[in-house]
Order: sequence, then structure tokens, then C-alpha cells
Amino acid sequence: MRGVIEGGWEFVIAAYVITAVVLLGYAFSVCWRLWKAPRHDAGR
Amino acid sequence: MGNSRWPFVTAGLGLALLVWGSVWGLFYAPREVYMGDVQRIMYVHVPTAWNAMLVLTFAFACAVLSLLRGGWGWDARLEAAVEGGVVLSALLCTQGSIWARPTWGVWWDWDPRLTTTAVLLFAFAGILALRGFVDDPVKRAVWTAVAVVIAYVDVPLVYFSVRWWNSLHQLQSTPETVSRAFHWPLRINAFGVLFLMIGLVELRARLAWQRRAAESAPPLPSGVAVATGRL
Amino acid sequence: MSGFLAALRKDLLLQWRTRAQFVAVFVFGATALLLFSFAIGPDAAALRQHSAGFLWLGLLLSSTLALADSFESEVQHRALEGLLLLPADPRALYYGKALANVLQLTVLGVGLVPVIVVLYDAFTARIPALLAIIVLGAAGLSAPGTLYSAMTAQMRARNTLLPLLLFPLVVPALLAAVKSTSLLILGDPMGQLTSWVALLVAFDAVYWSLCGLVFERVVED
Repeated sequence: MRGVIEGGWEFVIAAYVITAVVLLGYAFSVCWRLWKAPRHDAGR
Repeated sequence: MGNSRWPFVTAGLGLALLVWGSVWGLFYAPREVYMGDVQRIMYVHVPTAWNAMLVLTFAFACAVLSLLRGGWGWDARLEAAVEGGVVLSALLCTQGSIWARPTWGVWWDWDPRLTTTAVLLFAFAGILALRGFVDDPVKRAVWTAVAVVIAYVDVPLVYFSVRWWNSLHQLQSTPETVSRAFHWPLRINAFGVLFLMIGLVELRARLAWQRRAAESAPPLPSGVAVATGRL
Repeated sequence: MSGFLAALRKDLLLQWRTRAQFVAVFVFGATALLLFSFAIGPDAAALRQHSAGFLWLGLLLSSTLALADSFESEVQHRALEGLLLLPADPRALYYGKALANVLQLTVLGVGLVPVIVVLYDAFTARIPALLAIIVLGAAGLSAPGTLYSAMTAQMRARNTLLPLLLFPLVVPALLAAVKSTSLLILGDPMGQLTSWVALLVAFDAVYWSLCGLVFERVVED
């Protein structure tokens, strides 16, 4: 069945890839910073 | 702030749901009649939109509680929620732009919801900047909370003003109407982003908590540190 | 009430004493308007079409200078702590200063109107309506502007943070003010003016009450 908008797969892929990169990147960023954070009780 | 593992589990579950929902929406959901495959962007765009608003509403709640009840816990969660909200808003604007290009031929179509998100993005990013410049932790907590309350109250005003401003020129439907789409990938992804953000906001709040505690902890004299074997 | 009037009188007096600075802010605003026309080009029709937008953008940019200065003296001479020690309600302090800022921005706006008449051929016969919109728009800028000015006056990078925080916030007021002014200049065939003014009034009502409420927390020690 032909839709009014043809193709456009590159936009769909771009949207999904960017979403994945941003969400995974932010998750990684939070975990990384938490791991690196100074702990006030350990005196490091 | 706790040390337990639940946020990691929740975030992991969220990611798993997102993979499931995205694969479903990308490859197995039926093609939409008029928008074709571009409609599939909705399976990530709409969940992001719902959760962006949810996270910012949570930020507002934290701000109110921080002002009324005080305590560093609410301030830490506030910082986490504002940052998470900024990330989701930025993502939302990017997705909206990518959707607009094949649909309307322009990179930005001044859709009221998306434009409101852009304004919110700038407002909350500014609040993060504000936070970075205040050294006194008490003032920082109060001022960010006040700024968040003020910015959040603005949301309906911004939305209506932009919608009105735009209605005289364009009459296209907003992308969030997915009545023709298959609902399941949407719901799965919505819960996916939700669980992911719940986990991440909690972790980010712990980070904020630890940073603030480190900020106010007195520095150990180096002699003591060496003597007790900590250095 | 007496606290409010005293605060208002103090701020008006301060503004009068620093009127040289005000002239500089006005020149800045007028220069901005000139630059806008260079950005658009000498297309008279286009300039007239967008004149309302230029006026309010010029006023918005000038307001960052005017508002940033409004707490200058309080901070410089540590007068803020002194004022807060007085038995007057801190809200009176806020409303006095905010109202003084409205006045200043209104005078600024009114002063810029002849500039747009000359540069953009943007004239309206409905002077009272235009004045009302300028006052309402100035009020919209002044309420959150005074609050954030109090906040940022106490920190570094204040000149960047004030506009950064203020600009996204006042979008509804800016839109409403621009549309209202535009309808006055270009004509209002569909009678939309009252709706836009109502939006502006709603924005002012929300922020004048909210900012007054939280001001005390922002300046407390």
C-alpha cells in the first residue's frame, strides 16, 4: 500500500539512533560520574 | 541517600523494554496509511514527550518540597530531575525536528508542543547554569527551587501563547495523535523510558548528594590521613 | 502599605539619581532598533510588518541592562542586609522595586516608540491602547526580572545569568505584547486585540503574585 509519504527510512533510523545514543550516553554519564564521585567518608 | 542496587535494576529493565518496543515498532508494527514508515518515529517520540513532562513535573514537586520542607534530599533529587528533564527535552526537540523534515519539508514547524518544549529546554538549562554559579549550598538549593517553580508555572502560559500565535498561520495536526498507530510498541517504550529515567534520576540524585556532602566535609589533615593508612 | 510606599519612593529616588545611566540604556535600545533594520534591509514594507517585534526585542534587550542595575546599589553598599533588618515586610521591598522598574521600562518603551515611527514607518493613532500595552508588557518583564535581579546581583556572572534566566520565561508576555502592538500598528480586522491583552494580563497577574511570594526566600540569609 502506498502512503502519501514515501520512504523516509533514513529519518526513522536517525531518530532511533539518536534516541539510543542520548539515552545510553546519559545513563553511562550518570553511572560514570557516580563511580568517580568523591566519597566524603573515605578520605580519598 | 541509599546505596542499594534497585536503580540499576530499574534502569536495566527500562532499557530492555526500550529494545523490545523499538524493535517491534521499527520492524513489526503495521505501516501507517498516510505517513508511511515515518510514523515509526512516534514510537520513540511520544514516549520521550510523556516522560519529559513527567520528569519536569517531578522536578517541580521536588522544588516545592525543598522550599517547604527543606533537607538536602529534595535538593539532590531536584538537581537530578532538572538535568534529566533537560536531556529528555533536548532529545524531544531533536526527534521532533527529524520528524518534521520529511513530513513538512522544514526542520522546524513551530508546533506548539514542540516549541513549548524548546522554551522549557532553555529555561531549565538556564537553571542548571544558575546552579553551577552559586557556591553557597543553602542559597543554591533555595534559588534553584524558586527558579524551577517559576519556570514550571510558565508552561501552560507558554503553550497557550505559542499555540495561539501559530494557529493563525498553520493548521497541521500535531504529531502526537497516534490513533492510527499500533499501541503496543508505544506503551512498551513509554514504560521503558519511564523505568530508565526513574533509575537514572535516583542515581543522579545520589551523585548530587555525595557531591554536596563532600563539599561541606572538613578536609582531613594529611598527617592523619597517612597515619590511618588512607593515603 | 507604608513599607511599600517607602520602598517605592526610595527606588524612584535612586532611579532619578542615576538617570544618566538610564539615558545610556535608552541609547542602547535605539541603537538596537537601528541594527534590526540593517538586519532586515531597506524594505519598508517588511520593516513596518515587523516593527512591533523590533520594538519589544529592543525593549527586552534594554531591560537586561536596566534590571541588572536595579539591585546594584543594594549589593554594592551592602544595603540589602540593612533593608531586610527593618521591620518592613520584604514583600514591600520587592513590590516597591518592581513597580519602580515598571515605570522605568515604560518610559523606555514610550521613548522608543518615536524611533520605530521614524525607522519603520510604524504609526498608530490608538495612543492610550499602545501606552496600556507598554505598561502591561513592562510589568511582565519587571516581575520576574526584579526577582532574578535580586538573585543574580549576589553572584558572579550576573550579567549573563539574568538574561539567560529571564528570556525563556517571558516568552508568553513577549508574544502577547508583540501581537498586541502589531495589531495596533497594522490593524485588527478580526478583533483579536482583547484576547492577546488578556493573556498579557494573566501573565502579569500570575508573576506579580508568585514572585512577591518567593522574594523573601530569595534574599534571606
